[in-house]
Amino acid sequence: MKKRLVVLFSVLVIASMALSACGPGASKAPEACTEDPLGCAVIEKGQTIKIGMGAPMTGEYAAFGIDISQGASLAVKDAGQFEGFSFELVSEDDGGSPEGGASVANKLVSDPSVVAIAGHIFSGATLAAIPIYEKAGLPMLSPSATNPDLTAQGSKVFNRVVFTDATQGKFAASYLVDTLGISKLAVMHDGQAYGQGLAEVVRDEFGVLGGEVVAFEAITPGESDYSAALADIAAQGPEAIYYGGYAADAVVIVNQMSQADLGDVLFFGCDGTFGEDFVERTGDNGEGAYGTSLIPPASDAKTTFDAAYLETYGEEAGKLSPYTWSAYDSAAALIVAIESVAIVGKDGNLYVPRTAAVEAVRGIDGYVGLTGNVTCDAIGECASSGPTFYIVEGGDWVEAK
Amino acid sequence: MGIHNAVKNIKSISAYQVIQFVIGALFIGYILWRLNEILRVNPIYGPDTWMRFAIAGLILGSVYALIAIGYTLVYGILFMINFAHGEIMMIGAFGGYFVFEALNAIPTPTAADPELTFLSAQPVISVLLAFIVGMSVSALSGYFLEKIAYRPLRSAPRLVPLISAIGASIFLQNAGQLLFGAQRRDYLNPEVLTRGNGWEFPVGEGTVILPYTGALTFVLSFLILIGLFTLVQRTRLGRAMRAVAENKPVAALMGVDVDGVISRTFIISGAMAGAAGVMWGIHLGLVYYFVGFIPGIKAFTAAVLGGIGNIPGAMLGGFFLGIVEAIGPPILGLSFQLKDVIAFGILVLVLIFRPTGIMGEVLTEEKV
Repeated sequence: MKKRLVVLFSVLVIASMALSACGPGASKAPEACTEDPLGCAVIEKGQTIKIGMGAPMTGEYAAFGIDISQGASLAVKDAGQFEGFSFELVSEDDGGSPEGGASVANKLVSDPSVVAIAGHIFSGATLAAIPIYEKAGLPMLSPSATNPDLTAQGSKVFNRVVFTDATQGKFAASYLVDTLGISKLAVMHDGQAYGQGLAEVVRDEFGVLGGEVVAFEAITPGESDYSAALADIAAQGPEAIYYGGYAADAVVIVNQMSQADLGDVLFFGCDGTFGEDFVERTGDNGEGAYGTSLIPPASDAKTTFDAAYLETYGEEAGKLSPYTWSAYDSAAALIVAIESVAIVGKDGNLYVPRTAAVEAVRGIDGYVGLTGNVTCDAIGECASSGPTFYIVEGGDWVEAK
Repeated sequence: MGIHNAVKNIKSISAYQVIQFVIGALFIGYILWRLNEILRVNPIYGPDTWMRFAIAGLILGSVYALIAIGYTLVYGILFMINFAHGEIMMIGAFGGYFVFEALNAIPTPTAADPELTFLSAQPVISVLLAFIVGMSVSALSGYFLEKIAYRPLRSAPRLVPLISAIGASIFLQNAGQLLFGAQRRDYLNPEVLTRGNGWEFPVGEGTVILPYTGALTFVLSFLILIGLFTLVQRTRLGRAMRAVAENKPVAALMGVDVDGVISRTFIISGAMAGAAGVMWGIHLGLVYYFVGFIPGIKAFTAAVLGGIGNIPGAMLGGFFLGIVEAIGPPILGLSFQLKDVIAFGILVLVLIFRPTGIMGEVLTEEKV
């Protein structure tokens, strides 16, 4: 630490000498850093510019973390070199839990070469991590944390490229009432920040629109048998079940619905349940089920990305989770924002003023990514497009009309 | 002096008994009130729904019972909790999974169905093979688990093998993730055993389905439980196991190969966990590296509930826990999210009245 201070000091001295010698404009790096109340991220020559990520890499929901970090890794690879520095994605395992989110955040802020965070992945972990990044001045751009409360707390550092649960819930409720004509709905969720938040929006919104919510039931995620809970719901006679949660549990529910006399009842999932996994593992039981998605419409950029993903990881994009594309956008947009404020010092080190970086990410405007237009508003909502509804037909997701 | 002590004892016992009585009366009163509420005052569930609860509970309970036996057998002999038992079940589930996948790759086309595979053409042989392989790999894992993780610690203090067991559990979970991947896989059953298919019979206003997979699970686990009971009570090995459980040094003096009996106990409990794993896969259709964890914890609870170390107790505890999980929440009018709270609440209550479990033997000083 002391050594680094000495280096920094000598940089300052040399820079001020250079300034007096050549006049203004020769090098602003040290000045920008001293002016910035939170200082600079310093990337020494030969090091990489690190983009941090907190994701569940092990445990039950590891597929999400692995997929999202793979999508973001491709963005980092595509970014290439900036002023002779290359980028690197540092994915730390937060297990998807609030405790894990906080400890990963503490670890990442202690590394001075981490400039921004493409995450976290789960809403609960993100909520715990925000205050830590706030203090350190690390801008966040989450590809998947959708809980509405996250942007409602006045955080300067938190932004996201996905649409919120509130937006999704409202769209879903009105789709259920207006398009599908459902009047009796059972709402289920997994009791987690994401699933419950979404389910509550749908429950309230569905009631406002004149429908009747006959059951509101939480399940314990990660179990293999929900037949008793489903029998309970069947007794309330719903026309459709809305589920807020992830595909892992939704698949179990859908597969056990017919046993509980719910075979004719419509299953309506969220973006957490959408994906190849759902179709593959529900088979015939999944036919006619609805889902919500952030899969972007076909485009040249998406085709290129899908091919690169398949080549690099030997698996089709979107198979592990539906967040691959927003993960790519998240990392790519962060890199663009960081490049706009990074300065190469006279000593050859790269300086990223913290506050400026936070402002640059909040100020992302008109970045065109795989998921469409990314423009952040005043509270950090960067997704401009709403959700798309899909239905399973013939063993595949097709856009629902 | 003696009389004084006796009086003191009576006093303290009766105070404790009063507390027991109050808790018991409150609980039974509450249950009766809830039953009246849910069955007569406001009957929101028809008989068909109760039937579905019961079926779900009995099937799950039979799997719990099978796993719980493993905990109880090992505890009976080594007085340790084999926390890696759930992972042994996971290995068995994977064994059956790969058998089904392999058999499905063998084409046996007929004129009527050119896409028919061995798996659906010979369901009986397929299921039998899956059980044999699943039970064998689990039995082998159990054998090596004991050799590697527990035998070197046989003479260590009792906490040491317990910690070793937790370590083995975490190791096996992560090994499972590395070997088989993190994704959840689906059991590909023979066509006859498609999940959701079953006997349909009308009850009340609805139709209740008794799934074939559930019936298979229930009947098979019942047969295995009877087989095990006979083995322990009637065979030479069973007698040796009971002798070792009672007193290891004396059993050794009488010519019983103690290490061999312990090994075989792990093989038997492993095989039963393997059978439970294959059933879990066939009935619930889900297999991944973490699949053994929750059933493992539940079965351990069932074993304690029934009286750990007691074989009929573990069976009873398993069925009891399965049924409480299914009908507890509706009877108490609570969300199904709280079914574990109810199950563990019942465990606490049972332990208040019978600290050794429902059928538990009184632990002697020596055993403790």
